[in-house]
Amino acid sequence: MIAKFIAARVRPDVSERQKEEHMLKTHRRRDARHVLALGAAAALMVTMAACGSSAGGSGPSGGSASGQASADQKPPASAILDVAAADAVTTWDPIKSFSTEVAYIANIYEPLLYAESANADGEVTFKPALATSWSHSDDGRTWTFKLRSGVTFHDGEALDSSAVKASLEAAAKDGGASFIWADLDTIAAPDPSTVVITMKHAQPVDLIASSEYGAYIVAPNALAADQKDPKYFEKGIDAGTGPYTLASYTAGKQIVLKKYPQYWGGWSGPHYDMINISVTSEAIVQQQQLQSGQAQLADSIPLENVNGFKDSFNVYANPSTFSYVGFFNTLRPPLDDPKVRQALSYAVPYDDIVTVGASGFGTQSHGAVPAGIFPYSDQVTQYHQDLAKAKDLLAAAGHPGGGFTLNLTYAAENQSEARFAPLIKDAFAKVGVTVNLKGILFNQQWAQAKSDPKNAQDMFLLLYWPTYSDAGSDNLHSLFHSATPPYFNLSYWNDETYDSLVDKALDLTQTDRSQAEDLYTQAQQRLVDQAPGLFFYDQKAVLVTAKSVQGFEYNINYPFVTFYYPLHP
Amino acid sequence: MLRFGTRRLLTSLITLFLVMVSSFFLSHVVPNNPALVFVGPQARQDEVARVTKQLGLDQPLVVQFWDYLKGLFAGDWGTSIATKQPVLHEILNRLPATLELLLAAMVTAGVVGTVLGVIAARHVGSPLDAVIRILSIGGVCLPTFWLGLLLQVVASHGGSPVLGRNSVNLQFLNPITHLTGFNTVDAALTGNWPAFVDTAQHLVLPALTLAAYPLGLVARMTRARMIEILEQDHTNYARIAGLSERTVVWRLALRNALPTTVTVSGLSLAYSLTGTFFVEVIFNWPGIGQFATDALLNSDYPAILGITLLGALGYLAINLAVDLVNARLDPRVRAS
Amino acid sequence: MIPLPPGTAETAGQTEAGDERAPDTFELPRPHAAFLPTRTRRVIATLRGDVLVIGGGLIVLAVIVTAIFAPWLAPYPGQGRGAVDVAHRGLAPSSAHWFGTDQLGRDILSRVIFGARPALVISVVVVVAAVVIGVALGSLAGYLGGWIDEILMRLTDVFLAFPPLLLTMIVAALLGPSLQHAVIALVISWWPWYARLVRTAAQSIRQRPYVEAARVSGAPTRRILRRHILRNSLNPVIVQATVDFGTVILAAGALAFLGLGAQPPTADWGLMVADGRTTVTTQWWIATFPGLAIFAIVLGANLLGDGLQNLLNPRAVRR
Repeated sequence: MIAKFIAARVRPDVSERQKEEHMLKTHRRRDARHVLALGAAAALMVTMAACGSSAGGSGPSGGSASGQASADQKPPASAILDVAAADAVTTWDPIKSFSTEVAYIANIYEPLLYAESANADGEVTFKPALATSWSHSDDGRTWTFKLRSGVTFHDGEALDSSAVKASLEAAAKDGGASFIWADLDTIAAPDPSTVVITMKHAQPVDLIASSEYGAYIVAPNALAADQKDPKYFEKGIDAGTGPYTLASYTAGKQIVLKKYPQYWGGWSGPHYDMINISVTSEAIVQQQQLQSGQAQLADSIPLENVNGFKDSFNVYANPSTFSYVGFFNTLRPPLDDPKVRQALSYAVPYDDIVTVGASGFGTQSHGAVPAGIFPYSDQVTQYHQDLAKAKDLLAAAGHPGGGFTLNLTYAAENQSEARFAPLIKDAFAKVGVTVNLKGILFNQQWAQAKSDPKNAQDMFLLLYWPTYSDAGSDNLHSLFHSATPPYFNLSYWNDETYDSLVDKALDLTQTDRSQAEDLYTQAQQRLVDQAPGLFFYDQKAVLVTAKSVQGFEYNINYPFVTFYYPLHP
Repeated sequence: MLRFGTRRLLTSLITLFLVMVSSFFLSHVVPNNPALVFVGPQARQDEVARVTKQLGLDQPLVVQFWDYLKGLFAGDWGTSIATKQPVLHEILNRLPATLELLLAAMVTAGVVGTVLGVIAARHVGSPLDAVIRILSIGGVCLPTFWLGLLLQVVASHGGSPVLGRNSVNLQFLNPITHLTGFNTVDAALTGNWPAFVDTAQHLVLPALTLAAYPLGLVARMTRARMIEILEQDHTNYARIAGLSERTVVWRLALRNALPTTVTVSGLSLAYSLTGTFFVEVIFNWPGIGQFATDALLNSDYPAILGITLLGALGYLAINLAVDLVNARLDPRVRAS
Repeated sequence: MIPLPPGTAETAGQTEAGDERAPDTFELPRPHAAFLPTRTRRVIATLRGDVLVIGGGLIVLAVIVTAIFAPWLAPYPGQGRGAVDVAHRGLAPSSAHWFGTDQLGRDILSRVIFGARPALVISVVVVVAAVVIGVALGSLAGYLGGWIDEILMRLTDVFLAFPPLLLTMIVAALLGPSLQHAVIALVISWWPWYARLVRTAAQSIRQRPYVEAARVSGAPTRRILRRHILRNSLNPVIVQATVDFGTVILAAGALAFLGLGAQPPTADWGLMVADGRTTVTTQWWIATFPGLAIFAIVLGANLLGDGLQNLLNPRAVRR
């Protein structure tokens, strides 16, 4: 199922242009993430407590506040959740959104279905959102969704099938993640509560319709206004059905979400009425906000300080789909020789890198697929630092004692890379290889890698994650399958054996999952043996909340989102 | 006086124009299509083309500059690539925060610096003088970014706020009615004492950090000038005439030294403009400095140009004011 | 982070505000030979009288010595160069590590000692380059006057129309963050100060009777420039360069702090402060000691500059 879905991206009927766009988007998105100072503490933000009574005390203002007379106008203090979040808003347009702002948008808008955390096999299950039931034809092309009744958009309009049709058509036409709908044939609205989606080929529409991007249902009037004025949403207008509405937005500084009283899920249980988010990418600022009680939830405090929070805060560290990889430039000598790459793979101090880069919130990778998602396999071998072996291999490759110099680029905004890159330099020096570290903005790092590979960097550090919960079609395909021109294949590697293994696995994922997994494991083993890249570690998603904040639910399918609705004091 | 003023103003305007020309071309020689950054993650080839056209980036550089200049006169300083907001709008939004910080720092520096300078001058050569000299030189030499961190460490142990302009939830608990844009002033004017206390507490550390440099400078200059004046004949006449030393120092001599103090304060105000960049970053102060450092690190050209223009304008205005004050005080300047 | 702008060293500062009045109020260095005899006495008097100046000189000397002999002075020279020791990371100051260790387990004392090298190299390169460019252009403008003077001064106006360090930051950001680019940016924004300083002095010296006499007697421009103008306008330059020696280090540290200067794993003081920022409340030593080093060298240079000012400027002695 998933394979075909992903296959849409590489099918011939997906134009080259769309592929390119997707890559560009993915890279932009990643770029945005890099700015988050912290490596992968991806996007969870949870809730925290009440401002007045929060852990750590909210400083002098809390006390003085009680003296103020006009208390009747204020919302009860216990209903506000103060959040320190790193995610920048690049747009408020739910159709165009393909970046970090989804952290907020996913609390304002809803898709037809939600994907639930993958089970042990990495298979995703679904739960109803705006659709209450769904079914598909035997050929997997026609999908019928029954809509929830009594749902209203924040602007008062009622949800019906025409709104869904208009939203999804807009997403397919102009969406930031339009490629997920590339195979769409028609959308029909036979009656107000039924939507029929027809694809050109068998597709896992349930997975597509629950996507983190490009599947939100938007109020028709707002959608129409947006068609006329592309900047319509940027005024801070929201037109979703979700539990929260956008109450105010101060660019780059503050986002206030208020509960939508008519939310179909109801407000009978304990919830926060207001989410007060201060946007700050500075990890240390987040930490100080948390410590001073100005925030009860922070998504990116410095990893090295997280352990200090364990006693008096809730610390959540969940497996994520984020991992750190490195690319060797396989077109430039001496890195065109697999022996040299193997030697260098043996020289890397993996344990130290996990310790320093992730402050322990990570585990050494098995190949290019992060643990926890398909087609991860712990059968794929790992390199461990072995300097003697590295020296032997270098000598065998005709470079006794090393003696060459490599340029390594990393994203300067990424604290983790900045921390562990010197470890690589230090370790390589021990086998006689000199490394020049170049920390540059990801934009520039990317642009340089995209220039003539013969003149590009020798080594490239990258934080990567798959767009969907299938790392076979994403990580393995995007990062190492040959491509001309290269997209994310920044080792410029071209290996027929690997390519055919991955291609075959891709086709089999839907029909014979275990065989596909087998082929992927073989491909990964080939990857590790040929060593076009380095596989450092899988990053955990770390979130810290005040003790008073309850109900946090992590969903690996929405790595950027903290859902505020389940949270409560 | 008028002729001098006009000439100075003209020179300043020419300078400003040259500043704009040079920074505009400097920021456009870097081979980078701002449209790509502008459209962001949803970049489609056709949209990039559209935005390229919309931003006028397909025009020759000279035409672009002409359009930029025209925009400036119409109050359009371009649109920030990073925040998508009009640059002027961003700057005006953030200006009060920065001005409040600057003003608090300058008042502190001016008053404390002058007093320290006078005291040192009165006790020249004494241990007290030495202490004040060390303090004032120290203030000038302290790296702002380091001082800010140290103050944060100390303050965080004392439990006082170390970040931001106010508590995050102030707007819900004690919303400030904005009159001047200066939070502390507005809170005081509207009798919103909890908000006043809150904002004043947040102001102390950044203002102190920023004040260190001008304070040192003012103390140094005041001391030097006071020593000079206290040795002069007319000061001695006043002493002989039986005026008390206190009157001589604090009334007569200080009055003569004040122009120096004012000049130094004015100049160091201009120097402190860049200091706010670091202070605002460290203390998460939502002013222009933070906007500027973000713009610099993200190569947000329209924002950088706006900051440049603002910085140059402010700096020229201060210099012009100082020159005019000097010209008033010293006829020889006008003659030259 | 604001560099002490050239010209703010007490007396010189008052002349910077507007060059129009400078010829009248500038503390004119006397012709060379005229005060040689008193100079020796003054040196002794100043040195004896001012502990601060001696202290400043000692600090500067110490930094130079430290930079030269870093490999022998540092307890862990390898770590000063960037070698890591992850097992010993984040250690508080102790007898084994006087200043503690950083997040990669590197001995901070060693890093601070090695940090003197880039600091010294940057400041010497920047100051020398700025002085050479500034003095050459400034003396030409001041002596020749006319349209050359006008063009040069308008040019420096443009540079000086930026608040200090803003231009540096803009240039460094546009060129892309690296140590070399930071140095280029610093030179670009620093030379105009010297040009103005020298031009002002040259302009007034030009009108001195003995220069007039030399010119009337047919001495070539180049000789007048070299013998009279340059030599006599150098005093304020020397004072300023001494102060700037520290100020440039401060500015370079500021750039590195923002990520616009030296890059890891260079043992650069500004970078080390930035590195320690995230852990400043728990591991205060990581940011504190490198910052202290910057403070010390800037302080030393300023004190020394003050002392030189007193030495070279007859009126200042009384202060």
